[in-house]
Amino acid sequence: MNETLQVLFSLFIFPGLFGMVALALLADWVDRKVYARVQQRVGPMYTGKAGILQPLADVIKLLSKEDITPGESSKFMFNFLPLAAFAAVMSAALLLPIGFLNAYNSFPGDLLIMLYLLGLPTIVYFLAGWHSHSYFGIFGGVRAVTQLFAYEVPFLLAVLTPALLTGSWQLSEISRLSASHPLYLLAHLLAFTVAILGLQAKLERVPFDIPEAETEIVGGPTTEYSGRKLAVLHLTHELMFVVGSATLASIFLGGFGSGLWQFPLFLVKTFAIIFILSLMRAAAARMRIDQLIEFSWKYLAPMSCLQFLFIIVLKVLEIA
Amino acid sequence: MKKSVIARIKEWARLNSLWVLHFNSGACNGCDIEILDALTPRYDVERFGIRLKASPRHADVLLASGPVNHQSAARLKRIYDQMPDPKIVIAVGTCACSGGVFRGCYNIHSGIDSAVPVDAYITGCPVKPEAIIDAVAKLINKVKAA
Ligand code: SF4
Repeated sequence: MNETLQVLFSLFIFPGLFGMVALALLADWVDRKVYARVQQRVGPMYTGKAGILQPLADVIKLLSKEDITPGESSKFMFNFLPLAAFAAVMSAALLLPIGFLNAYNSFPGDLLIMLYLLGLPTIVYFLAGWHSHSYFGIFGGVRAVTQLFAYEVPFLLAVLTPALLTGSWQLSEISRLSASHPLYLLAHLLAFTVAILGLQAKLERVPFDIPEAETEIVGGPTTEYSGRKLAVLHLTHELMFVVGSATLASIFLGGFGSGLWQFPLFLVKTFAIIFILSLMRAAAARMRIDQLIEFSWKYLAPMSCLQFLFIIVLKVLEIA
Repeated sequence: MKKSVIARIKEWARLNSLWVLHFNSGACNGCDIEILDALTPRYDVERFGIRLKASPRHADVLLASGPVNHQSAARLKRIYDQMPDPKIVIAVGTCACSGGVFRGCYNIHSGIDSAVPVDAYITGCPVKPEAIIDAVAKLINKVKAA
C-alpha cells in the first residue's frame, strides 16, 4: 500500500506532473525576471507577488483561448505533436535521480534514454513546423533540425564525459560518485561549459534561437499554433528548461543526494543552472545559422574531444 | 449577475497576460516608433504581462497604426481573422482613428474601423507611449466591468 502511494506521489506530485509543471512555471518567472533585471527593467510585477503568477496566467489564458487548426495543415499530426513532445519531456522528468520512483526506474544506461527523450522535442518542432504547412513553420522546422546537427554531437560528447569519468551509465550512480568526489567538477569543467552551451542551443534560446527568430520567421515551428496547443508547446519548452538543467545538475554538480535533503538541493542546483542560462539569454544576441554551425564544429566539438582525451589520460594514469 | 469561479480565473488570466501584435497598415512610421517606445525599459509594459508577439496566432491584442490603404485593408482583415478569439483591436494614432492627415487621399480608407471592428481609439500624431498604456489600462477596466 505504502509503495503504491509512493509511486502515485512520484507520478503526480514530485517529480511528476504537478511538481514539474509548477517548477517549469517558476523557472519561466525566474528567467523573465533575470532577463528584465539585466535590461534595467523590473519584469512582471502585478500578477501575484512580484509577478510570480505571470507564467501561470499566460498558460491559463492560452488554455482558454480559441484553438485554431489551419485548414491547410495535416490535422492529425498538427494536433497530436504537442502532446508527443509533452509526454517525452514528462517521461524524462521521471528518470531524474530524485524521489521515490528512482528505486524502480533507475537502470544502467538511463542516461542515454534521458538524452534521447530530451532530443525528441526538437524532432517534434521540425514535424510541427512541417505539418502546419506554412512557410514560416517549414523554415523554422528545417532550421531546428540543422541546428540539431550543430550542437547535438558536442553536447552528447560533453554529457558522456562524466559517464566516462565515473565509469557508469546510470544517472543515480554518476551523481552519487561525483558527489563523493567534488574534484570531478574541476576535471570536467570544459565539458560542463560545452554542455551548458549545448543545452541553451537545445532549448532554442538566445543566442541560439535561430529556429524561432521572431524578427525573421515570425515564430518558427510554432507560428500556426494557438490556444491549447500553444499552451502545451509552451509548457513543454519550460519543462525541458527545468529537466535539462536538472540533468546537468545531476551529472555535473553531484546530484541531489538522498532523503529529505533532495528537494532543497534539487532547487538550488537546478536553479543555479537556470540562472546561468538566463544570464546568457540576456547578455547575447542571436547568431546566424552558419555562424552557429561553424562555432559548434570549430570550437565546441574539439573542446569536448579534448575533454574526452583529458579524462582518458586521467583514467590511464589512474588519477581518477 | 455573479460570475462563476472558472470564468473569473479565465478573466484574470486573460487580462493579466495580453500578448500584443503590431501591424502597420500604412502609417508614416511615427506611431510605430512610439509603440516600440512603450516596450522599452523606460515604460516596461512587461510589468503588466504585456508581451510583443510576432505571430497573429499567438496574439490577444492587435495594435494597428496607420490609415489603411487599398493594399493593406485585405491584409489587416486577414491578420484579424487569423487571431484566436477573444481578441481586442486598438487603433493607434490619429490616422488609425480617422485617416488623419491622409484622410481624403485617393487610395486611403478612413481608419482601422473601416476594415475591422475596433475596441479602443488612441489619438495623437504620433501617440505618446503613456497614452497607449493608459488606453490599455482603460480597456482592461472596461472588460472587467462588462
Ligand atoms: S498619426 Fe501621425 S505619426 Fe501616427 S502614423 Fe499617422 S501621420 Fe504618422
